Amino acid sequence: MTFKEAVEQTANLAGTWEKGLEALRAEDKPHIKAEDTRKLTGSADVDKALREVEPNAHRWDFAIGYQHSNRTKESIYWVEIHTASDSQVSVVLKKLLWLKVWLAGDGVQLAKFERDFVWVSRGTTSFTRTSPQQKQFALLGLQHKGRVLRIPNKRAD
Amino acid sequence: MATLNIHNLGQIKEASLSFGDLTVLVGPQATGKSIALQLLKLMVDAGQVQREMRLYGLDWSRELPRFLDIYFGEGMRSIWREGESRIEWSGKSVDLPQIAARNRKGKEESLFFIPAQRVLALRDGWPRRFTDYTPGDPFAVREFSERLRVLVEQEFGASGDLFPQERRLKKEFRDLLQEHMFSNYHLKVDKFRSQKRLVLGAGRDAEPLPYMVWSAGQREFVPLLLGVYWLMPPTAVATRGDIRWVVLEELEMGLHPRAISVVLLLVFELMKRGYRVCISTHSPQVLDAVWALKHLRENHAGAEALLNIFEASNSPPMQLLANTVMEKTVKVHYFNRETSRTSDISDLDLSSESAGEADWGGLSEFSGRANEAVARAVANSGRQGDS
Repeated sequence: MTFKEAVEQTANLAGTWEKGLEALRAEDKPHIKAEDTRKLTGSADVDKALREVEPNAHRWDFAIGYQHSNRTKESIYWVEIHTASDSQVSVVLKKLLWLKVWLAGDGVQLAKFERDFVWVSRGTTSFTRTSPQQKQFALLGLQHKGRVLRIPNKRAD
Repeated sequence: MATLNIHNLGQIKEASLSFGDLTVLVGPQATGKSIALQLLKLMVDAGQVQREMRLYGLDWSRELPRFLDIYFGEGMRSIWREGESRIEWSGKSVDLPQIAARNRKGKEESLFFIPAQRVLALRDGWPRRFTDYTPGDPFAVREFSERLRVLVEQEFGASGDLFPQERRLKKEFRDLLQEHMFSNYHLKVDKFRSQKRLVLGAGRDAEPLPYMVWSAGQREFVPLLLGVYWLMPPTAVATRGDIRWVVLEELEMGLHPRAISVVLLLVFELMKRGYRVCISTHSPQVLDAVWALKHLRENHAGAEALLNIFEASNSPPMQLLANTVMEKTVKVHYFNRETSRTSDISDLDLSSESAGEADWGGLSEFSGRANEAVARAVANSGRQGDS
């Protein structure tokens, strides 16, 4: 199953798949830089798609598909573009928890893909790479990036 | 603001350095940080360097290659490439061959250099003379060693404690050093068969511990402490002589992070006294401190917030120190091995698109990769692949 097919078969996401980074808001697109844009296999705005059915939930932002050169299947980058300050840590971690629960339920088709959970900074970042906070994120499966997520052609093993 | 521009010198293709009250150089080994710092000393103190060289019988026949071999160390003549190498100091072109060719009048020293090889300054627990080295050893090491010898012989000649000493360093520093560096030991001058030496002693009756049994960190730190003593004379005047600049290479050498914190506070004290301090480092802790300083200042934090980072007392003298340092300018330069150029990463922007700035000149690169690998493993653990 492809990323596009999985999106189409997921409750409330059907019809939201768009090519490249088209599902992202214009102001969010500069935060994502793919080494080869032709390898982008589409995107979906999860937050917008689920706004009506889960209005009060801490919804995650986007899913972005990418075909790495060293993988036979696509990978999914689950991206939250959010202010990176201490006060926002609990908000983003709630969103991550929501995403994990959703992937175990309605999003189960999308949960089958190799994945990265990525927090991309909107604006400046207030935690250093060597900070214990970053280690705590890692133990929850969350990568914190700077203002830009760079997707390489070859996925790190 | 003083600036040093270097073109095609040694491994440096292009370096553009501006100096703040504190300047930090970061980058992998052998990217030219030490060459840049020694060159800074030459820019500030060419006359004094030549005077010292002549005083100790060093003769370079007014030729640049020989001068470079004496000043930077044996074999370093190759760093200068005729027709390619260029230097500008604060906007003015500097003719290095001309500096070597002219017999410049020596003024007093303006820059005190604490070299990375400072552990070599002590032999059997006593500072070595300038002439105790081979002519191929770097000038900075020999000069530093000689300064320590003069200090110990002239200011601590008689047997007695070098540390702790009431008239040297604030009580707050002494307490921190006692806790994180010397434990309950005192650093003192002792005699072994008529030979004076520095030892660590636990008390009047306890057997003294000679240099060779000190911990690696203590062996690294004691020359640094003596250098700090040189810069902080026990007088009403806060600085020594005409010295206005201090270079401290790799301040973290051999030290536990708690001891590094104390050395950083000593650096702050040097800044408070009006010295311009330049350091090179491979320790992310140093940039953590610079980063905190910047953001505490921007967010109008008080002195206590800064002192808390260092677990330092919030006493009035330390508050004054913290408040003074918060007003100082800090520059950070990254020596990039791939490009052989430097970049100004003073903003230490963690979100920067430039990897050199975001990972602080490579100092947090490993942590970043470790975090990423673990996050990826956790994210994909237990995930069921497509059937």
